[in-house]
Amino acid sequence: MLDLVVIGAGLSGLMAAYTAAQSGLTVRVINKGLGSMHWGAGTVDVLGYAPDAPEKPVQHPFTALANLVVQYPDHPYGLLSSDEIRAGLASFVALTEEIGLPYRGSAESDQNLFLPSPAGAARPVYLAPEAQSAGDLSRSEPMLIVGFKGMRDFFPDLIVQNLAKQGHQARSAFLPLSLVTDRIDANTVHLAEALDDLERRTRLGHELKKLVKIGERIGLPAILGMNDHSVVIADLERLSGVPVFEIPTLPPSVPGIRLYKALRSRLLELGVRIEAGMEVVSAEMTARHNGTPGSIQSVISATSARPYKHRAHNYLLATGGILGGGFNSDHTGHVWETIFDLPLTVPQDRSMWFASGFLSPTGHPIFHGGVVVNDVFQPVDGGKLIFSNLWVAGNILANADPILERSLEGSAIVTGIAAGKAIANL
Amino acid sequence: MHKLQTEVLVIGGGATGTGVVWDAALRGFKTILVERRDLTHGTTGRFHGLLHSGGRYAVKDPHGAEECIRENQILRKTHAHCIEDTSGFFVVTPEDEGDDYPEKFVAGCNAVGIPCSEIPVAEALRREPLLNPRISRVFEVPDGSADGFLAAHATVNAARVAGAQIMTYHEVDELIVEERSGERHVVGARVHNVVTGEHIVIYADIIVNAAGAWSGKLAAMAGAEVVILPSKGTMVAMNHRLVNTVINRCKMPSDGDILVPSHTVCIIGTTSVTVPNPEPLRIEPWEVQKMLDEGEKIVPGFSKARVLRAWAGVRPLFQETYTGGGRDVTRKLALLDHSQREGIKGFLTITGGKWTTFRLMAEATVDTICEHLGTQRPCTTATTPVPGAEQGNYWVGHRLHDVEEQRLQGDLICECELVTRTMLENAVQRNPALTLDDLRRDVRLGKGPCQGGFCTYRAVGILNEMESAGNWNHDMLDESADTMQWNAAHLQSPAHNLTRDVTAGNGKGHSAESPTVFNPNLLLRDFLQERWKGVTPVLWGRQLKQERLDELIYLSLMNIDHLPDDELASPVTDFYNFDTTPGPFEPEPKKVG
Ligand SMILES: Cc1cc2nc3c(=O)[nH]c(=O)nc-3n(C[C@H](O)[C@H](O)[C@H](O)COP(=O)(O)OP(=O)(O)OC[C@H]3O[C@@H](n4cnc5c(N)ncnc54)[C@H](O)[C@@H]3O)c2cc1C
Repeated sequence: MLDLVVIGAGLSGLMAAYTAAQSGLTVRVINKGLGSMHWGAGTVDVLGYAPDAPEKPVQHPFTALANLVVQYPDHPYGLLSSDEIRAGLASFVALTEEIGLPYRGSAESDQNLFLPSPAGAARPVYLAPEAQSAGDLSRSEPMLIVGFKGMRDFFPDLIVQNLAKQGHQARSAFLPLSLVTDRIDANTVHLAEALDDLERRTRLGHELKKLVKIGERIGLPAILGMNDHSVVIADLERLSGVPVFEIPTLPPSVPGIRLYKALRSRLLELGVRIEAGMEVVSAEMTARHNGTPGSIQSVISATSARPYKHRAHNYLLATGGILGGGFNSDHTGHVWETIFDLPLTVPQDRSMWFASGFLSPTGHPIFHGGVVVNDVFQPVDGGKLIFSNLWVAGNILANADPILERSLEGSAIVTGIAAGKAIANL
Repeated sequence: MHKLQTEVLVIGGGATGTGVVWDAALRGFKTILVERRDLTHGTTGRFHGLLHSGGRYAVKDPHGAEECIRENQILRKTHAHCIEDTSGFFVVTPEDEGDDYPEKFVAGCNAVGIPCSEIPVAEALRREPLLNPRISRVFEVPDGSADGFLAAHATVNAARVAGAQIMTYHEVDELIVEERSGERHVVGARVHNVVTGEHIVIYADIIVNAAGAWSGKLAAMAGAEVVILPSKGTMVAMNHRLVNTVINRCKMPSDGDILVPSHTVCIIGTTSVTVPNPEPLRIEPWEVQKMLDEGEKIVPGFSKARVLRAWAGVRPLFQETYTGGGRDVTRKLALLDHSQREGIKGFLTITGGKWTTFRLMAEATVDTICEHLGTQRPCTTATTPVPGAEQGNYWVGHRLHDVEEQRLQGDLICECELVTRTMLENAVQRNPALTLDDLRRDVRLGKGPCQGGFCTYRAVGILNEMESAGNWNHDMLDESADTMQWNAAHLQSPAHNLTRDVTAGNGKGHSAESPTVFNPNLLLRDFLQERWKGVTPVLWGRQLKQERLDELIYLSLMNIDHLPDDELASPVTDFYNFDTTPGPFEPEPKKVG
């Protein structure tokens, strides 16, 4: 029997699996679709906008976090001390070094970086892949943003115009897409894989050299290599003679996929199998009864062939709420957790789900709800433990809207690690 | 201030107004059409999309039924590309059994010449496998599925070719009434361009009020009385074509009893509720519930299928207050000659009717114009196909076919609706477009399952590049320019848009003095909000997950809620910002009358 089955292969599930496996536990990860890593920017946001001041970005996330947990004691960050949060992020940074995809923060460690978004807005980010960090908007070198004619998912003029409006020096230039690929239906992943090719990236490097002026830095769409990413960047910097950085694109997210792949290989080395494309549809469990918590005997996955039972001593649910598919909902206003039917703080009434505008600064209440846990990340109902052997981490947790406050990856990492530790310490 | 002079001025760019401008132009009248927003901003852009065979009215309103079948047969020729020949079933579900409606229905169809044949239930189920297997009888009639956006464009394109001038984003503020030898004459209209704020006076020999649910307001500007009771109808679009045939319930017409396949989706409708104003329209939870409940009776499991969007339109129900009687008042379509009714010369109101009968309404209107202007010119619209009709009937696979045959996968900027980059670029150069919503109407941008998730950013990126290069055609803002083709028909097909049309568009490098509506950040915000407006009344399940993914893209990744220029607004920003989130569930109010 396994020690731990992790359901969900987003950042929280993978970090929990990693933490538990490193402590010697036998772990399996089961995952239905693609974690939100495949959709995002590939950065680690810890806290970009505080809920009480959504207009202006957070400069010092740890100072802001301290205020946040005082104001909102139920916030998932409130389950951890600020030292635990720092330590969790530090171990993530160490892990990324180890897997050859180093993440960097600002020189002053308690500071958000501001990086250009694909629309040219300034994104408050705590840690960024090394390849994005030269986009730091506090640096003074002017930016040359280079796009590819015909590429659907990256628009240099838009970025440059918006950066200029915010006082940053930037200009745009275009290269033919045929420099990168001959494919007619290339998405960002295809483009990144094409640049793994030495000849193609060399050609690109020479073209960049022709475009760039002394003292500039070059921003490119985040397609600079998939498997040989760090070599691709190094080659482009050498050939162009200036710093080169990536700006994220529309999904699929190459930076996110690089991270996912690197984490997956590290987990494999630790003996952790990731069963991708497998959906957990139900569980065998006993309910809470007479003051004793219930327990999970197995979780059952549906594959094309037949249902399959996974048995473990412990289970960790990291299915990511509505975004990850961990919650479902229907027209009657019912919102439920799909595997264990855990109680949710989500209002069970459609009239209470949404604020009026898509961009409402308060966010939408339905995305703020989730599973309530105790201080070791086990789900509780009215303070009482529901299952003796179930843990929960990541964006499924109640009392935060991680997309609105830009804490998506940060809270996934630190709660994943904390839950993994809690299980390992049993 | 600009002054324009014309023979006929048409107010309103819905089906009716576009029909009138087409007919008048074909008969050789110098004609101008003004519309306060984009074409089909009103009911025509929010209808159910059924080309009526007349079957629905066969029992209740034989005269209306007869008009429908006649017009149905005409529009299939004149507007072939705007119509999908889906055919239609009238089905007797278990809820509909127990009276002699089917017999009356068949007799009614026969009486007015609607081809109608009973087909075996087994055959109907073979053609529509998701249909309720407990239906007991099925009658087939020549219903169709109509694209009201495309049809309005095609109709004004035909009018433009015949010399008419089309002015969108021009709103009538006032009608100019003069006393001439003791008689009141409407001689013109004061209009303003809602983008530039410029004021224009348009003098006309005759003015046609085709302002739909707003026609009471327009009539009042001339001192005439037209009482309109706006009646709201809500429709719900499902994410799939659950049926390929129009399905009607075979019973006395009521709410939620028609399911229309339309492009890649199918639409159930409608409700009918009297409302105080034609906009904004809130969709009540009971309306959504009722559509799902009624849908279940047609297709079991309906309410568990993925729901895409909901919207509402208003029927301009005309209430007769004039007691003089007169030949101009037909039962369903109302052509009001204000010189007869109130002694106000030079002013007609045409309202009521159906989309299916817009051509007929226009014909009646222009016949009356001829009488007023003392000339006899026969109507030719019934035999004159509009540009694009040569493409033949619409079929749902046409874009996919083009994309695969021409290998355009890499060019798709809207994967849901198969819109290529060049289709969008050509739309912007040849057709007036102020917002992405206008382009949605032109090329179906953002109408699919992701509701703008991917294409909004791409379209804004592309439009921004075009604007910077002076290739976004702004001629629509200048009422004397005439480079606008209004040619959406040739924007529908990826294969017809392999190259960017460099002859259209002005390339004047106008970005310096461009109005702020062409700002990319405003375009982004407006369109995301416009899509949100239509999903919130029906947002749950898979579509809710999709919406959260769109948040991930536009907040986490793009940070568009912290872009510059957040103070800018377009003429439609307020319209999009209207709160459409569901309120608490209240039961359906009792119908009065
Ligand atoms: C819910 C519903 C479903 C329907 N389904 C069907 C169907 O399936 N089949 C069918 O045949 N018919 C259907 N109909 C009927 C059909 O949609 C209408 O009859 C038709 O669209 C009316 O067109 P219109 O041009 O008269 O009005 P509208 O389309 O409303 O046009 C009026 C225009 O006038 C403009 N305007 C208003 N004020 C001003 C001003 N001051 N200056 C300039 N412009 C102004 C408005 O912006 C608007 O665009 C449906 C109607 C409803 C309400």
